[in-house]
Amino acid sequence: MNASIIDPLQGDFPEVIEEYLEHGCMKCIAFNRRGTLLAAGCNDGSCVIWDFETRGIAKILHDDECSSPITSICWSKYGHRILVSAADKSLILWDVMSGKKITRIVLQQTPLQARLHPGSSTPSLCLACPLSCAPMIVDLNTGDTTLLKVSVSETCNGPTPPSRNKCSDGITSFTPTAACFNKYGTLVYVGNSKGEILVIDYKNGDVHAVVPISGGSVIKNIVFSRNGQYLLTNSNDRIIRIYENLLPLKDEVRALDDLSGNHNDLNNIENLKAVGSKCLTLFREFQDSITKVHWKAPCFSGDGEWVVGGSASKGEHKIYIWDRAGHLVKILEGPKEALIDLAWHPVHPIVVSVSLNGLVYIWAKDYTENWSAFAPDFKELEENEEYVEREDEFDLIPETEKVKGPDVDEDEEVDIVTVEKDATFSDSDMSQEELCYLPSTPSRDVPEQQEKCVESSSKLLDSNNTGSPLSEEAGPNGHMMNHASSPLEDDAGRMKRKRKPSEKVLELQAEKVKKPSKSSKSEKPKSKSLADQDNGNGFHGGGLYDE
Amino acid sequence: MATSTTSSGGGGTGTQTFKPYRHLKTLKDHENAVSCVKFSNDGTLLASASLDKTLIIWSSATLTLCHRLVGHSEGISDLAWSSDSHYICSASDDHTLRIWDATGGDCVKILRGHDDVVFCVNFNPQSSYIVSGSFDETIKVWDVKTGKCVHTIKGHTMPVTSVHYNRDGTLIISASHDGSCKIWDTRTGNLLKTLIEDKAPAVSFAKFSPNGKFILAATLNDTLKLWNYGSGKFLKIYSGHVNRVYCITSTFSVTNGRYIVSGSEDRCVYIWDLQAKNMIQKLEGHTDTVISVTCHPTENKIASAGLAGDRTVRVWVQDS
Repeated sequence: MNASIIDPLQGDFPEVIEEYLEHGCMKCIAFNRRGTLLAAGCNDGSCVIWDFETRGIAKILHDDECSSPITSICWSKYGHRILVSAADKSLILWDVMSGKKITRIVLQQTPLQARLHPGSSTPSLCLACPLSCAPMIVDLNTGDTTLLKVSVSETCNGPTPPSRNKCSDGITSFTPTAACFNKYGTLVYVGNSKGEILVIDYKNGDVHAVVPISGGSVIKNIVFSRNGQYLLTNSNDRIIRIYENLLPLKDEVRALDDLSGNHNDLNNIENLKAVGSKCLTLFREFQDSITKVHWKAPCFSGDGEWVVGGSASKGEHKIYIWDRAGHLVKILEGPKEALIDLAWHPVHPIVVSVSLNGLVYIWAKDYTENWSAFAPDFKELEENEEYVEREDEFDLIPETEKVKGPDVDEDEEVDIVTVEKDATFSDSDMSQEELCYLPSTPSRDVPEQQEKCVESSSKLLDSNNTGSPLSEEAGPNGHMMNHASSPLEDDAGRMKRKRKPSEKVLELQAEKVKKPSKSSKSEKPKSKSLADQDNGNGFHGGGLYDE
Repeated sequence: MATSTTSSGGGGTGTQTFKPYRHLKTLKDHENAVSCVKFSNDGTLLASASLDKTLIIWSSATLTLCHRLVGHSEGISDLAWSSDSHYICSASDDHTLRIWDATGGDCVKILRGHDDVVFCVNFNPQSSYIVSGSFDETIKVWDVKTGKCVHTIKGHTMPVTSVHYNRDGTLIISASHDGSCKIWDTRTGNLLKTLIEDKAPAVSFAKFSPNGKFILAATLNDTLKLWNYGSGKFLKIYSGHVNRVYCITSTFSVTNGRYIVSGSEDRCVYIWDLQAKNMIQKLEGHTDTVISVTCHPTENKIASAGLAGDRTVRVWVQDS
């Protein structure tokens, strides 16, 4: 809506750390579909839901039964449910609005990643990738687990029944296997330790296609873009590969059946590879050819235009951003703490990264005000333009002045009610209500603060002259002072409020105001700044800018 | 007692005959000028603010008094409802804003920080922020949960007369006596656009249309204009009323056709057809300037407030 007035000349990726969030020790993060809420899983088993717009805590999900570190966190499609996997081998499903646990399922192995089925708003299935076992589909209602195949053996004839509750063969016990749902949850894409991508229909366990990656090194992450058109793999050979998805969205199974129609023997590797070549095609490869870093938590931007990956080297917090054409556009450097998780905001050019010591950093564009904003007829030009004056510009009565009338047809119909559907969310099923915001209830004032402060502070304010320290912080006309209320500040603010002179002292000062004296005049600005303390430490807790 | 005159100008859309609004009830419970009236977003309640330092919450269906909110030490200039209709925020001459619980009728929070009369206030659609404009020439954004001032925007050189959020809460529009109307980005507090920049006349009121694409702005030269802020050009002008001195609020009526409704210093409520710009009806009955008007979100009901010579809230309905 406001796209028309935002400057299109600035690039669409983040540049600096804007703020950081602190609450306990957070390990993993996930945005909800619209990016209005950010869920973070903590070391102590609780989940914090941040209101991303106010950067305040909207809800904390906590249950006594769940107290071990969270390994992954995932939202349901419309934001009503959150699934977390924890280090005590359990999967926990939460209801967001009420903050209550719905179910807890204990598996045989610690799940490193758990993903809810993306197709429905109250999914009953999830995909779990355990530490040293094949990925499995877990039914959240019954607790049943179904292992998925991770390799197609050459010697196999006929389908092998999936073994229940037992680790499947063919996989060493040390390599976790990556897997993800495709956009509508019709298929599961598994990246195995032989460097192959398997396309599996999880309903019957059939492997429909195999896409081998050159070099055959272990696949560590596999992730789809939001629109389901691109697939990203992160391999042990330090290369991030982008594949284009050739299957039609929503209709994949039928398309696969058509493709493999000629090949009756599904277990023939060559046939599977042939089908695979029609499912995915290699689009780009990203690597840092100089430092050859391993990548951590690579993912797409919300619109699929950018790919972001974190450097897995210990002791550095580097985020690489490439455009889809393959060019490295930016390296973001944060404080010297290893990066453990990364997420790109679904809509805005914002990246959120989690560092090893549990802080969540928010990277955003460095906003500068547009000069064209200051007057209605200012326009930004890309380069200097020579002004050619009109023929009659310096005439006493230039004719063309009269023609300056409104270009707009005043009789044109104006529509003040229709809202255009946001293209980013075009697949919204409007019958489902989406949970975008958790209600903010104002926290009640402590009664004494109200009564006593009413009188004393209004007197202070009345006699306040404009030479108070607050107005010194004013920037140039039109500039704002960002009193970003990060939680660190909340603590500081709360602490400062305790240190603020008690109500009695305020009253004393109020009385002094009635009889003005030199000492009280010097006290007034101090007490005023304490009373209005909301800018305390400035909006960064020191030294968090990237280079 | 209350009469309404209908004027049919030329060039109306003519598809529906306009049924005139008629006076339903006069509410006389305030002891001084009523500065603002607003229906709640769910339409069940009506709130009014007055220079008698109190707010009154009425039931919208029965028009009986539910609560009287007492606490401010000076008169109140503006009020705003939260989106879930549970909270009201009031802006007062005592330099503070107060958040009230509408069901219980008690004060939940006091927001301090302005250095002068707080003149206008609004919630954002998510009701997580409150924006306020003051005679101290600043606009402040407050976090509802904690009550802390999150941004202070110093962008005007005279009192700020009106502040409003757009439909998704990403933009704030502010109008001021210094003649300017500016659009700010909520997240950063940066200035995005200046819509009007003349030194005179003062812009007394500005608000976004329901779909957030247009801005209705009133200036103290008897004019209301509908702007497309993307192109920076105004599309419609509405006139015929009197507005030279007071910051009179106007609003969109969308429940039964598209209209612009505004108060006026000649004691009437004016209704214009949105597209044709002609005045359709003039509601008479108040005995002083009509300073504020509000339209019910679902029913064809308008409430209006009068200044000190009148002190009443009048409710008008359209027969179906």
